Amino acid sequence: MEGLSETQFAYLLLTPALLLLAVIALWPLLSTFRMSLFADNLTGSAQLGSFVGLQNYVELFTGQKSYALPAPFLPKLTGTFPYVTGWFTTALGATLVFTVVSVFFETIIGFGQALVLDQDFTGRRWVRVAIIIPWAVPVVIQGMIFYLLFQPNIGFLIGDAQQTILQQLGIFGKTPLANAGETMLIIIVADVWKTSAFMALLILAGLQSIDRNLYEVARVAGASKWQQFKLITLPLVLPTVLIAMLFRTIAAMRVYGIIDSVSSCQTVPSLSCMVVAGFSQRQIGTAATVAFVTAAIIGVAVSVYIAKFARSSVGGD
Amino acid sequence: MSQDTDTTPTTDTADLKRGPFESWVNRSISNPENVYQAMFYLVTGFFLVTTLFPFYWLVVLALTPNEQIVDMGLLPKGTNVGAFVEVFQAIPFHRFVINSLLIATATTIIVLVLASLAGYVFGRLDFPGKKPLMLVILAISYFPPAAFLLPLFSLFTGGKALYFQTSAITIGLQSPDLYNSPWPMVMPFSALFLPLSIFILTTFYGQIPDGLEDAARIEGTTRLGALARVIVPLSAPGIATAGVLTFITVYNEYFFSSLMTNGAWQNWAPIVEGILGYRGHHETPYNLMAAASIVGVLPVAILVVVAQEKIVSGLTSGALKE
Repeated sequence: MEGLSETQFAYLLLTPALLLLAVIALWPLLSTFRMSLFADNLTGSAQLGSFVGLQNYVELFTGQKSYALPAPFLPKLTGTFPYVTGWFTTALGATLVFTVVSVFFETIIGFGQALVLDQDFTGRRWVRVAIIIPWAVPVVIQGMIFYLLFQPNIGFLIGDAQQTILQQLGIFGKTPLANAGETMLIIIVADVWKTSAFMALLILAGLQSIDRNLYEVARVAGASKWQQFKLITLPLVLPTVLIAMLFRTIAAMRVYGIIDSVSSCQTVPSLSCMVVAGFSQRQIGTAATVAFVTAAIIGVAVSVYIAKFARSSVGGD
Repeated sequence: MSQDTDTTPTTDTADLKRGPFESWVNRSISNPENVYQAMFYLVTGFFLVTTLFPFYWLVVLALTPNEQIVDMGLLPKGTNVGAFVEVFQAIPFHRFVINSLLIATATTIIVLVLASLAGYVFGRLDFPGKKPLMLVILAISYFPPAAFLLPLFSLFTGGKALYFQTSAITIGLQSPDLYNSPWPMVMPFSALFLPLSIFILTTFYGQIPDGLEDAARIEGTTRLGALARVIVPLSAPGIATAGVLTFITVYNEYFFSSLMTNGAWQNWAPIVEGILGYRGHHETPYNLMAAASIVGVLPVAILVVVAQEKIVSGLTSGALKE
């Protein structure tokens, strides 16, 4: 092995990782793309229909794609998103609404939590544990918590016989988890609860890498706390915040677990929910197309993000 | 305030005549630190209540006997600790937890070994194709799990479930027994969560001075020997971080965990299936769902308490500087 050149040695050590990635990631990706070029075959014994090229993609975007799914959410959702028609645009719209709203609130709350955790105070260790622990909660338990919180007539949030404050305010009806808009609100709250903590972790890491001497200098120069925050903290932590938002956006676009565990993917269809639904209905071509469109949208979002913030984040080490 | 200023003179000597709030405001104006302090405690209190309340709610439900779970207030209706025992009797819940822990452990070991080798290559060696390779590895982690699901399902069911039985790779690995074993979870997790660990370890390994490795090499150690005896021990915090993050991520995963088994604990179904398993019961055992959730959270909660410093430092050095 000592006779190898550095390049040969490098590739030798990379072989196991690359092999695993090739079989478990790269091949499935190419394979999914190939499936997306075939028609669904609902009748015969073969699991894919005939080769149709990009027809699945065209039909998906033009709303011609019919989906033989038990889709109880569809009529309800058209009330929530009146500007969309087909199931694909509904799923896309639901995913985008979820992504934008949850990432927005996670950033703000996570930033606030990170600022708290960056302070020096007694009991900081335990406050830190308390604030980051939702991040460590398995998705299924996160889902179970919010499923239980919003069960009608068991809890104080949703009453059956008498209306709770949330119901009197008109935010929730009698069965929030059967209503698309209300379920969307619940999964966003659930997601913000769990992933603000992750955001806080990333931003805290950024805050702690700021040189403390800068604050000393600013204080000597007479800068107020707010000025210190605006002129030192904010610009220096911004690249971290943007990367954290990028991570969260990617993850939110593929949201599945929290929706499935709260509402069994029955009221709010994310794109990933639609892939699983199509897959279980053996509409392999359509499911693969949705999977690949999701990947493409994430890819575009990542590229736009990197291009827009390239100077402040990526490569700005 | 305005009423007060009409009747009393607003000089500092009149401080005693004011209410506690006014004097606090007065002191705050002369010393804004107090305001920052108060705001800080207010905000901290708010975050503590909002993050911890859902856990408290689980405890309230778990302690309340199931038939009493109607119109719950903020306090448990009883102290039925029995739910925590019943959790393991209604279904073998501990088996689901053990399955998840074993799957997470196996994945973490595979990831750490592969990421150590890759991190050494990316952090310490120079070779053509380094940057593009790193980009490809990073890009893989951008894809939604849904994009891997169909072919992987076919792969692990031996090509029976999908069209892809003619693929050479599928034939090579064809074994229907792979489904309902730990592998349909361990292998995808290892591949999908590998990139983060590679980036963390690349940073840690890259920071070790060349001199230390050279010294070991001069004494006759091979390159791999130097990796094992010099670089890995010196990067222990980085390895611990990558390990903890991988373990928690796998234990918490939902997508593959819920789709890659048939839900039976004998067939390696993870904790997802255990917790959702209570839903299918005739009469919904809300207290058991809550108790199961508390039991299921404990392993990762303990890990977070123990490893919180490492998690923060690992994210600082690995995920963000790249």
